[in-house]
Amino acid sequence: MNKRIPNYSIERKKARWGWIFVAPTLIFFSLFSFYPIFNALYTSLFKKKLLSLKPPDFIGLDNYSYLLKSSDFWNSMRATVVFTLGTFVPLLIFSLIFAIFIMSRKRFQNFFQLAYYSPAVLSSVVAAVIWLLIFDPRGLGNQWLNSIMNTPGIDHKWLANSVMVQMSTMLVYFWKYVGYFTIIFIVGLASIPQSIYEAAKIDGANDWKNFWYITLPLLKPTTILVSIISMLQCLRTFSTQYLFTQGGAPLAPINVITLNIYHTAIRDHQIGRASAMSIILFVIMMLFTWVQFKSSRADEISY
Amino acid sequence: MDYGLTIKKNRISNQSLILDIFIWVFLILAALFILAPTIFMFTASLMPANDILKMPYRWIPKGFYWQNYWQGIRGNDGSFIYIRNILNSLIVASVVSATTVIFSALAGFGLAKYYFKGRAVVFMLIMATMMIPFEAIMIPLYLVTTKLGIQDSYAGLIAPFLVNAFGVFLMRQYFITFPDEILDAARIDGASELMIFRTIILPNSIPAVATLAILTFKSQWDNLLWPLLAVQSEEMKTIPLYIVKFMAEKHTDEGAMMAVAAIASIPILIVFFKLSKYFLGGAALYSSRKG
Repeated sequence: MNKRIPNYSIERKKARWGWIFVAPTLIFFSLFSFYPIFNALYTSLFKKKLLSLKPPDFIGLDNYSYLLKSSDFWNSMRATVVFTLGTFVPLLIFSLIFAIFIMSRKRFQNFFQLAYYSPAVLSSVVAAVIWLLIFDPRGLGNQWLNSIMNTPGIDHKWLANSVMVQMSTMLVYFWKYVGYFTIIFIVGLASIPQSIYEAAKIDGANDWKNFWYITLPLLKPTTILVSIISMLQCLRTFSTQYLFTQGGAPLAPINVITLNIYHTAIRDHQIGRASAMSIILFVIMMLFTWVQFKSSRADEISY
Repeated sequence: MDYGLTIKKNRISNQSLILDIFIWVFLILAALFILAPTIFMFTASLMPANDILKMPYRWIPKGFYWQNYWQGIRGNDGSFIYIRNILNSLIVASVVSATTVIFSALAGFGLAKYYFKGRAVVFMLIMATMMIPFEAIMIPLYLVTTKLGIQDSYAGLIAPFLVNAFGVFLMRQYFITFPDEILDAARIDGASELMIFRTIILPNSIPAVATLAILTFKSQWDNLLWPLLAVQSEEMKTIPLYIVKFMAEKHTDEGAMMAVAAIASIPILIVFFKLSKYFLGGAALYSSRKG
């Protein structure tokens, strides 16, 4: 019977089912993604207090101009940028090295992958609590660093010194995610055809030349991907900094933008100002995503 | 076997042996550094607080100081609220995983196998939500859930995470290679579209479903920021919130603190070692996002 229905009506029926299948997701995103981001944009133009019954006052771009003049906001931008650069560069370099070294082994590849990835499985709160103990003045952090640098008995003030506390948050993040990016690099390495290396071998290339002239150029798309993902992740960092300040570290050096949004909204009740900060974060991340999109288009590689 | 190659290998063997040893040492040292904090958590969770911050640290506990675990579960006030909080985490993470898989699979199937007007736009819109960081919309979400009266409830904890764009993308990529002929054959046999989804599509997408479910579960198990905003009462707290509270309450008892952290980590570590291919596969899939 189905066969007698003209083709176009089958297509129409199928089209209807297509809509039915995507409808729940579309409704969800309208309510929980698009509405909130437009709401944040709208709210950022008002002077609005949390829990206040007074209707909010429209103040145009005053929230933004306030932020641009606020040293607290610029401190957050600084903290975020320092954290992002200080974390993503080592992440990129070490995950690439780890991936290449692991792939060069004939045995224990699986063990190293699992071992390196395992911290990513722990929750970020657990990671922060562990490292808070390691960074205790009597903790492992001092013991390790003192035995490496041969400076017995020195307290490096991992959590108290404003430079060290930034390094400490970077170290936690690096430790947690380096394995994750190693895996992504391993996938990228595995997609390079073995025949290229065989051809190079016949031409007399050594390991170093292989790396420099084959592996690295062919890994460019993966490298760009890892840079962008890790940068976007670092810009959004929250848990480590939150836990560290809860554990007694000074707020100012690690008051990243997300932490500032949270404090401005929940502690200071300045919803409008927090929304303006959210929009600024959103715009920065949009720019990064746009760069990713551009660069991944430009770097299609064919073997 | 290959004469030419073996000669070449012998000639540079000295240099490559040094390189070989260097790589092994490097990898092993890195593995030690990466594993040490986790091992530290487990060993410290079995020590009395005095032993944990002793120099030098004893990596092998003298005995098993199980009191830490008792203290962690019991809580400083003896309320055993951690058990309830663990249950909350389990409920939220399980429900979110289930809804994410179902809605992602439905939408991914619709986008992969149905040709309707506006499909490209719908796909673009869904992918666009990946660009909206949660941190940028948490305040409006907080206001919305307050208005809806679902603050401090399971509904409030779950609502913002029912489905995500990565899941839709993952499922769509998976379904797109599924042969149309099989679907058409089922249609000719009189199967409805929902039946096709249930009896053909879902059973054939176990790897993608498992990957998505595990990654979603893990990210919810981890979630700190939203519960911080959405929960006020002790009863509705999730594991990360309990850890934050426990740390602030009694920062001095390091042993119990590590026990609490270990309890939170053991389930997810077991799942990881049992199902590692889905975790590693998930990371790999993320890299296909560019395609």
